[in-house]
Amino acid sequence: MEFKGKRIVIGKLGLDGHDTGMKIVSKWLLDAGYEVLYAGLYNSPQRIVQMAIEEAADAIGISSLEFEHLYYANKLLEELHAKSLGDRIKVIFGGVIPKDDVQKLKQLGVDAVFTPGTRKDTLIQTINDLFAST
Amino acid sequence: MSASDELATTYLEGERVPHFRSLSGIEYKPIYTKADWPDELSDAAQYPFTRGIHSDMYRKRLWTRRQQSGYGTPEESNERIKYLLRVGQTGINMDCDTGTKLGLDPDYPLAQGDVGLQGTSLCTYEDMRTLYKDIALDKVSSTLIIQPPFSALIMAWYLLLAKERGIPWENLIGTIMNCAITQLVGPTYQSNMAFFPFNLTLKIGFDVMEYMISRVPRWNIVNINAYNIRETGVNAIQEAAFAITLAADYMKALIQRGHDVDSFARRMAFFCAAHIDLFEEVAKLRAMRRIWARMLKERFKAKNEESMWFRAAIQTSALPLTAQEPLNNIVRATIQTLAAVLAGTQSIHTTGYDEAHSLPTEESQRLSIRTQQIIAYETKVVNSVDPLGGSYLIESLTDRIEEQIWELMKLIEEKGGFIQCYEDGWIEEQVDEARYMMADDIESGERPVIGFNMFRDEDEKTDIEIFRYAQGMQARRIRYARDYKKNRNQEPVKRALDKLCELTKKKPEVNFVEPIMQAAASKATLQEIFDAMRRGADFTIPS
Repeated sequence: MEFKGKRIVIGKLGLDGHDTGMKIVSKWLLDAGYEVLYAGLYNSPQRIVQMAIEEAADAIGISSLEFEHLYYANKLLEELHAKSLGDRIKVIFGGVIPKDDVQKLKQLGVDAVFTPGTRKDTLIQTINDLFAST
Repeated sequence: MSASDELATTYLEGERVPHFRSLSGIEYKPIYTKADWPDELSDAAQYPFTRGIHSDMYRKRLWTRRQQSGYGTPEESNERIKYLLRVGQTGINMDCDTGTKLGLDPDYPLAQGDVGLQGTSLCTYEDMRTLYKDIALDKVSSTLIIQPPFSALIMAWYLLLAKERGIPWENLIGTIMNCAITQLVGPTYQSNMAFFPFNLTLKIGFDVMEYMISRVPRWNIVNINAYNIRETGVNAIQEAAFAITLAADYMKALIQRGHDVDSFARRMAFFCAAHIDLFEEVAKLRAMRRIWARMLKERFKAKNEESMWFRAAIQTSALPLTAQEPLNNIVRATIQTLAAVLAGTQSIHTTGYDEAHSLPTEESQRLSIRTQQIIAYETKVVNSVDPLGGSYLIESLTDRIEEQIWELMKLIEEKGGFIQCYEDGWIEEQVDEARYMMADDIESGERPVIGFNMFRDEDEKTDIEIFRYAQGMQARRIRYARDYKKNRNQEPVKRALDKLCELTKKKPEVNFVEPIMQAAASKATLQEIFDAMRRGADFTIPS
C-alpha cells in the first residue's frame, strides 16, 4: 500500500495537556504501518512545522481538547503556507471539536478532522484515503 | 455487531452481557453467600471506618454539591459561581485556565490561544477580588483547583482578599488542591516538568501546607487528585494505590520537616472518581477508608482518630460518557452519582452530559445539580448510613479490592515510593499501558459502551446546545495583562521580584509563601513572580 511508511508528526499546540487521545492514536497509526514522530506537549506552530520539515513528514496530526482548535489551525496553516508547504503536508485535527467547527477547520484547509467517538478503523481508513488521493 | 445481528442475538438466542468481570478485571461470582464473607463489621464512625467516618452521615448533613466552574474572564466566572449558588450548589470549586495553572500570564505567546478556555484566567490579585465579588469567604467553602508551585500564589491572593475584607483567616473554610503530581492531567510526566523545576515544585507544595497548618486551621492543605489519575485510563485499584502512596510520601516529608502527624493528617483529603461499575466503585471507596485508617494508625502512629478519617470528594468519571447520543450520559452520570452517594463521599461533582462536546452550559450544570438533589431528596437512599454494608457481595468485593490495593502499594513502596516511581517514569509506563488497554477494550467490545460500540446508530444526529466563549474574551484578557503591567508603580514590583529571584538562587530552603505574598501585594503578576523564580533556578520554559 502506498501509505506505508508515510511519516506523521503528532503533537499538541499551546498549553493543552490532555495526551491520552494523542497517545492512543499514535499507537493505532504505528500498528497500521505509519511512522509516527511524537512531538508531545507545549509546541508552537513554528516548532511543529520546523519538526515536520526536519523529519520530512507527510502529515501533521494535532490533538486539541481545550477548544483551541480554530486559533491554532489558523496559525499552523499560516505557517505552512509561509513555508510553501501547504500542498505537500497534510493537516489532521482530532479531539473535542464541535460539529460546526469541523466545517470551519476544513475551510481553513485542514484535510481531516476526527471528533470524539471515532473508531480505529474509520480513522485509519480516512488517513489512508488522504494519501491514496494524492 | 450490526443492528440486525444484535436483534438476532437479543431475540433468538436470549440477551446476555459479554462477560462478568469488573472494570478492574475482578470476576463477579454468580451469587455471594456467607461463605464469601463470614466476618463482622464495625459500625460507622468506628475504626477502621469501612462504613464511613460519621455515625449519622447524610442524615445530619448531605454531601456538598460542588460543581467545578470557571471559564473566560474573572467577571464571567463570578457570574457563573453566583448562578450555581442560586440553583442550589453548596460549595465553590474554582478552576483556573491552563495558563494560570502553568504560571503564565495571558499575554505570553504560547499561552494566548488557551486563555480562559478550561477555567478562569487569573493573573493578578485584582482578578481574585473580581472572581469572589459578593461571595462571603467565611460562609461558603471553596476548593481552589491549582497545584504547586502556583498554588502558593493563588492561596496568597485568597488570604490577602480575606485580610482586605476583614475576615480572620481562622474562619476560612476550604481546600487548596496543591498536589504537585496529579493535578494537571493526572500523573503524566511532561506536564509537571516543563514549566518549573520539579524539585522546587514539590518543595513549594510543602511550604504551602506548612504555612496553612499553623495559620488557617480549618483549611485543607492538600487534596490528592485520584480523579485525574483515574481519567488517564487506569483501573480502580491503581487509582487508589497511586493516590494513597503519594499521600504517604507527602506525610513522610511533612514529618521530616518536624510536624506531628496529628497536626496535619486530618487536613489532607482526596478527590476520587466514580466510574460506572457501581459495586466496584462503592467497594473501592470503602476499601480506601479502611486502608487510610490502618496506615495512619499502624504506620504513621496517629493518635487522633480524625487523622484516620479518609475524606473524599467525588466527580463522576467522564470516561464512560460518549459524544454519540449525549442524552445517554445523563443516565450514566445519575448511576455514577448514586455510586458516589452509596459509597459515602463528602462532596460530589456530577459531570455534564455535554462533556464530550464542550464545557458545560448553564443548563447542563443545573441538570447536574438537579441529579444530585433528586437522589438526595426523592430516592431515600440517604436515610441510612452505608446502605450496602453487610451485603455479601459488597463486603467480599471490598476485601478483595483492599487486598489488591495493598499489594500494589507494597510494590510502589519497594520501588522507593510514589514520587520516586513517578520520577523514574514507571508511573508513566503504567498509565500508558492502561490507556492502550482501555482503547483496545473499547475497540474489541470487551468494554460495552451503548450507542458507541453497541447499538450504534450511524445516522444519529447529535444536536445539543453547546457552550461558546464570549467574543473577544482572549483579546480582552491579553490587553488587561499588558495594561496592568504598564500602569502601576514599577519600583516595589522590581524590588519584590529581585528578592524572589535571589531567594531562589541563594536560599531555596526558606518558606516561599510570604515572599510570594509580598510580591503579589506589590502588584507583580503571576508570571512575573514565577519567572523571577525560574531565573533564580536558571530554568527555561517552552516558548
